[in-house]
Amino acid sequence: MWTRTGTLLAVAAVVGLAAVATPHAQRGASRAQSQSYSGNVPYDGRFVFVRLSYPWWGGRGAPWAHDWPRGETHFLKIWGEITAAPSHITESSIMSLSDPELFKFPVAYMAEAGFWSLSSDDEARALRAYLQKGGFLIFDDFRNRDWANFEYQMTKVLPDGRWEDLDANHPIFHSFFEINSLDIIPQAYDAGRPMFRGYYQDNDRTKRLMVVAAYNTDISEFWEWSDTGYAPMDVTNEAYKIGINLFMYGITH
Amino acid sequence: MLESLFTFLFKYEPLVFERGRFVLSASRETWLVVVLGALVGLYALWTYRQLAAVSGRDRAVLLALRVPLLLVALFALLRPTIELPVAVPQQNFVGILLDDSRSMHVTDQGGRARREFVLDQLGRADAPLLTALGKRFQLRVYRFSSSAERLQSTADLAFEGTGTRLGDAFDRARNELAGLPVAGLVLVTDGSDNSERTLDEPVAALKAQAMPVFAVGVGRERMTRDVQVTRVETPRRVLKGTALVLDLVISQTGYAGARVPLVVEDEGRIVSAQDITLPADGESETFKVRLKTMDAGARLFRFRVPVQPNEEVAQNNQRDALIEVYNRREKIIYLEGEPRFEPKFIRQAADGDDNLQVVLLQRTAQATATASDKFLRLGVDGPEELAGGFPATREELFAYRAIILGSVEASAFTPEQQRMIEDFVDVRGGGLLVLGGARSFSEGGWAGTPLADALPVVLDRASRGPEYPPAELVVRPTRAGLSHPATQIAEAEKDLTAKWRDLPTLTSLNPVVQTKPGAHVLLTGTDERGREQVVLAYQRYGRGRALVLPVQDTWMWRMHSKMALEDKTHHTFWQRLARWLVDGVPDRVTVSPTPDRVQKGEPIRLTAEVMDPEYKGINDGRITARVTAPSGKVEDVPMEWSVEHDGEYTARFTPTEDGLYRVSVGGTTRDGKDTTRGTATVRVAPSDAEYFDAAMRAPLLTRIADETEGGYYAAADADRLVDAITYSGKGVTVIDERDLWDMPVVLIALLGLMGGEWLMRRRRGLA
Repeated sequence: MWTRTGTLLAVAAVVGLAAVATPHAQRGASRAQSQSYSGNVPYDGRFVFVRLSYPWWGGRGAPWAHDWPRGETHFLKIWGEITAAPSHITESSIMSLSDPELFKFPVAYMAEAGFWSLSSDDEARALRAYLQKGGFLIFDDFRNRDWANFEYQMTKVLPDGRWEDLDANHPIFHSFFEINSLDIIPQAYDAGRPMFRGYYQDNDRTKRLMVVAAYNTDISEFWEWSDTGYAPMDVTNEAYKIGINLFMYGITH
Repeated sequence: MLESLFTFLFKYEPLVFERGRFVLSASRETWLVVVLGALVGLYALWTYRQLAAVSGRDRAVLLALRVPLLLVALFALLRPTIELPVAVPQQNFVGILLDDSRSMHVTDQGGRARREFVLDQLGRADAPLLTALGKRFQLRVYRFSSSAERLQSTADLAFEGTGTRLGDAFDRARNELAGLPVAGLVLVTDGSDNSERTLDEPVAALKAQAMPVFAVGVGRERMTRDVQVTRVETPRRVLKGTALVLDLVISQTGYAGARVPLVVEDEGRIVSAQDITLPADGESETFKVRLKTMDAGARLFRFRVPVQPNEEVAQNNQRDALIEVYNRREKIIYLEGEPRFEPKFIRQAADGDDNLQVVLLQRTAQATATASDKFLRLGVDGPEELAGGFPATREELFAYRAIILGSVEASAFTPEQQRMIEDFVDVRGGGLLVLGGARSFSEGGWAGTPLADALPVVLDRASRGPEYPPAELVVRPTRAGLSHPATQIAEAEKDLTAKWRDLPTLTSLNPVVQTKPGAHVLLTGTDERGREQVVLAYQRYGRGRALVLPVQDTWMWRMHSKMALEDKTHHTFWQRLARWLVDGVPDRVTVSPTPDRVQKGEPIRLTAEVMDPEYKGINDGRITARVTAPSGKVEDVPMEWSVEHDGEYTARFTPTEDGLYRVSVGGTTRDGKDTTRGTATVRVAPSDAEYFDAAMRAPLLTRIADETEGGYYAAADADRLVDAITYSGKGVTVIDERDLWDMPVVLIALLGLMGGEWLMRRRRGLA
């Protein structure tokens, strides 16, 4: 019942997004190399979409900013329409891993984790504390060879952590929508099977996930272009559903 | 000294004058002589008036000497007599009641134990007091402690009685001596009556049967060196792992200001120890004791202060308490109206406690025109649990021990569900905790609802939504909160204040300020503008209790960057708060033994409340108490419905063994359905009550003596009671007339007055 209703709502909302202009558009990707932003949403108890930044000295836009701001802008519209979470719908935040304010937002999102590198041991310790206290991280938008770097970085954060592949039975795929098969997860790249991996607390599969990595796919890519016809509507809807489930799981588990 | 002087001057001891009747026993001839003497006296006065040579002043002095002289002589001539009722020797009975309890071992008689006085004065055939009494009376000797019995030989005195029941001793002696001529009862005791029965009735019965009590108080009225654990209040049943904060009262004399350890043992294992400073002499002070109940079962906790040097009573330095520590998961239903972080962290805290189960029903999407509310269920026992959302029947809801309501609006519930929540507290006796949030309290439209009646705070009826940004609150405990078990976020009391001071601020969308008269505020919050509001408050409501916590993010006490990863404050806070929420919540069958500690042979009254799944009393059922003795012997005791109260059943049983008796109550309803069962534990052991408040109670003994027209004597004056009984006027008596004309004081007065007149006359040349 809710799967269908949610999907329909998603479609309706996405169609209406084309004319949406958000404050994010004013920031510009060129500022993405900074560590944190004065324009962040102050904590007031409501849900805020937090995108994690990391240092980047390469050319073009910083990888962590891929799909920003349109990805979260569109996602928040859907999130606000469908869920009962009191949320900041028209604004979001960008935070560095060393920003102490991050601890006020126990769910955060990082794009292009394949290019991420920790800047210091303190940053690794801070992220470890964030996760072990109850924080939840969603990593998205990386593929193939990117995994090696990502895994290396996460080893610094959780040296004893062990990646586990998740299947459709995991509660994360049932936290809001009932996602009974991972075959519906859209492939955003040219190769590889989309898959989800996670770190369980204490490496215990009966405990909560602290981290989920959407590998070989780019969920937010579909959010970003959902107002353009870039991908079929039903595929985009699946991307919204998986996104909502990931965030809902992070909030509730 | 004074009494000896009195006896010398007046020939008899004061007692004779107290008990006797004064009469003038002069014969007719004597009266004639007195009249003649009076005439002579008048003539003498007339002659004084003729002595012109004597000055007026001298004449007055002479008159002042001569007139009393004549009056004294006149008094002596009239033969003053005391008529004294005297018990006829060996015609009367005297009951001797000897205190055979443990408190007679107390050594406060100038280095000697109280019992030594009894043995010295009454413990042998040739003991002085026993001999003196035996010369005049037929004696019946009894010993008493928890019970009273005739003593065949004083050698049988053991001073091992574990209670002192004066009333029972009086009744026993009165019944046995009824119909006999009784001159009085001799009561030798320290007066430390520790019976729950008042003495009014047995004392009145003694007075009605003309049996005066002559009490001998043995011991000192105030200890000089003693530390006593006067009282400790513990719950009967508590969940395993619960952190208790108990009030323990200590009184002392002789050790003011001393630092002593206060130790708590759980079945012999030390579970708490702290140093305390003893209060001033003769005063009591209450100390907070913190401990955790780590092991399940009926546990004997001992609270003790080590025996101090030269203490007079060592046995009152400790108190025992039986606490039934039960081990099960207490189920709490938590309805959260929106996806937010608070439930996640509360569940994390509860998951760290094996005895708590928080079943979360978290609304993730609100109802639309075509769909009802969407919930996420976490922590449920099976797929059926809460499948239909928040319980719609009392039976389903009342199966939980507590309810937590998160940020959820009143309109999310039907009116019947709102009444059910109120009844959950009022009737079922459950715990209710309402959290802050955008949809809570007034902001959620709860003012004027049945739930608002249960809450300890007043909700503003003006409808308004949440205002952002929320108030940022610095949270501090109130004085009550510093010592309340629900808010003990540190193991040691000394760390509490600093702990609270260092916590991050919380935010609130619910400016709850006004509390109800019965409310207790444990935490308050102050915002950046100095405005104060309630952060944690509770009140009793019916059989249960309702709490409010109008903040939205206690999870900051876990997640905030200033909180160390190892810091357990958030978990500790929620575990203790949740445990207190379910503490004392009744089962469907509850059993209360009264008292819960007895000695062998003492009856126990069992009271049970038997409820159906909706917590309505089951009346007229076939309810039985299955009593299992320490030896394993089982006895089924039928219980009777008390009729006055729905679902209340009572029964009595008398234990015959020392140890723990286990009682299990259950049965069937009138139409044959099984009830659930409730249990209780009773400890049967020798009482240590004798050693508490063991100072000799002279006021009590004096009152008994006065009301029965007897007398009270300190141990040093005990020999005087023989005469007192002899002259009590009770029993078979004869009137003994005792002349007073020959009292030394009469002779001294006569000689003194005559000598004075002679000297006067010599000086004035009148002789």
